[in-house]
Amino acid sequence: MALLADFIQNTLDGLTAGASYALLALGFTLIFGVLRRANLSYGPAILFGAYCATWISASFQVGLLVLFVITVGGTVLAGAYVERLCFAPHRRGSAIAAMVASFALWMQFEELATLALPRHLYGFPALYEGGPLIFGPFFLRVESVVMLLTGIAICAALWAILYRSRFGTAVRAVIDDPAAAELSGINVPRVFIQVFALASAIGGLTGFLIVSSQEQVTPMLGMWSTLKGMLAMMLGGLGSLPGAVAGGLALGLLEAHSQWYLGPQVRDLLAYLLLFVLLALRAPWMSTRSAY
Amino acid sequence: MLRVQDLVTAYGKIEALKGVSLEVAQGSITCLLGPNGAGKTTLMMTVAGLLKPRSGSIRFLDRDIASLPPHAIVSRGIALVPENRLVFPGMNVLENLRAGAYQRSDAFDEDIDRVFTRFPRLKERSAQLAGTLSGGEQQMLAVARALMSRPKLLLMDEPSLGLAPLVVEEIFRIIAELHREGSTIFLVEQNAHMALRVAQHFFLIEQGRVTFSGDPGSLAEDEVIRRAYLGSAR
Repeated sequence: MALLADFIQNTLDGLTAGASYALLALGFTLIFGVLRRANLSYGPAILFGAYCATWISASFQVGLLVLFVITVGGTVLAGAYVERLCFAPHRRGSAIAAMVASFALWMQFEELATLALPRHLYGFPALYEGGPLIFGPFFLRVESVVMLLTGIAICAALWAILYRSRFGTAVRAVIDDPAAAELSGINVPRVFIQVFALASAIGGLTGFLIVSSQEQVTPMLGMWSTLKGMLAMMLGGLGSLPGAVAGGLALGLLEAHSQWYLGPQVRDLLAYLLLFVLLALRAPWMSTRSAY
Repeated sequence: MLRVQDLVTAYGKIEALKGVSLEVAQGSITCLLGPNGAGKTTLMMTVAGLLKPRSGSIRFLDRDIASLPPHAIVSRGIALVPENRLVFPGMNVLENLRAGAYQRSDAFDEDIDRVFTRFPRLKERSAQLAGTLSGGEQQMLAVARALMSRPKLLLMDEPSLGLAPLVVEEIFRIIAELHREGSTIFLVEQNAHMALRVAQHFFLIEQGRVTFSGDPGSLAEDEVIRRAYLGSAR
């Protein structure tokens, strides 16, 4: 009975972490699907947004809602900077050049963040001050509920945008065939910018939920977000939106269970091992090209 | 309606168009014939804005369009049905048509009905993914998608390429039908025999230059076909 309770508790924790991974992977996948380029600076842009909010919160007395707006706004701003510098000039050029350029901006964001706030750790206002919800033997943090519900809401909203709006038609057309999209009258460079902004906004929202649940920020947030997002994206099959969600949840569950049963050292190792095995075996869903 | 003058388009150092001049009159079917590699597709892609010309001018309804991006050229009233029927394979037939009407701000349900009347096969398959259609159906869809923008000038790049004879007949029947309804069509074809049956005017393009221009009767058909497939020995 206690075994089962542990299992359920770990599953709940895994789904919560998985929801944040899924959101990060969705942002990655949107950019990858439309531009066919990996944006390594996705996580560091979130770091920039979170540090903007941390800096404001350390200097002024502001509410959570303001910090949320600043985190999302800062991330979108940083995302726009990345798009202009790394991806707009290389739209028809080399994917490697764009990726390396995005790595260079990663370093810029980290340096800028640690220059403004040099300590390794800063507190961030809590999303929720009260204690966890208790159902019998199970604990569920309110922050986790918010993360899960946000994940579901973002997925539903993305689905509606992609399948039920004029903008979504344009995005899917660009993903399917950029040349045919241009010939259909779609302004492809503008769709790139809009998708970048959308993905950055999702990143900023996710970053805000993460730092306000953990009640702290460190300069590692950038690398952490990029690694978790890319790992989840690859587990679910590069460039598939439902795959990104599945990959994120699978990664969260794998981490929660392996940490409990095998210890924290094994946790990250196991995730990379799984990716390696799936890539080596060429899991069938990993060969998909379509992004939705 | 369309006037191309001294157009040069190059891929790196290689000039695919070496100063092409031609004209498409309003309400006509004009055909561009020529062997593989003569520059036919390059010309179509340059007019549609996918390729930027190195020099020369492209005027459409007396406005220069040579420097415009593709979506702006669509909004001026030119639609290209590209070679190899580039449909959106992961979207269904109806969504492909909606993408074709992307720039329309008015209601286009009527246009969808009209397209479905013209292409009954597409209506039957309106919820099917475009990537699962047959080659002929994909070509129909590519034409239908281009029509959704209500173009003043329809460019078609090798619409009969790789299709069965019966489907080719059907495509040319539709081209003639669109022409009767007042459309202007600029057609690239390898199938010179079919093209000369519908066209009022044709140009021969060889090695990046226009080498002949005239009515279908002005050059013996076997001579046209010989040059369109093989190029003239010079």
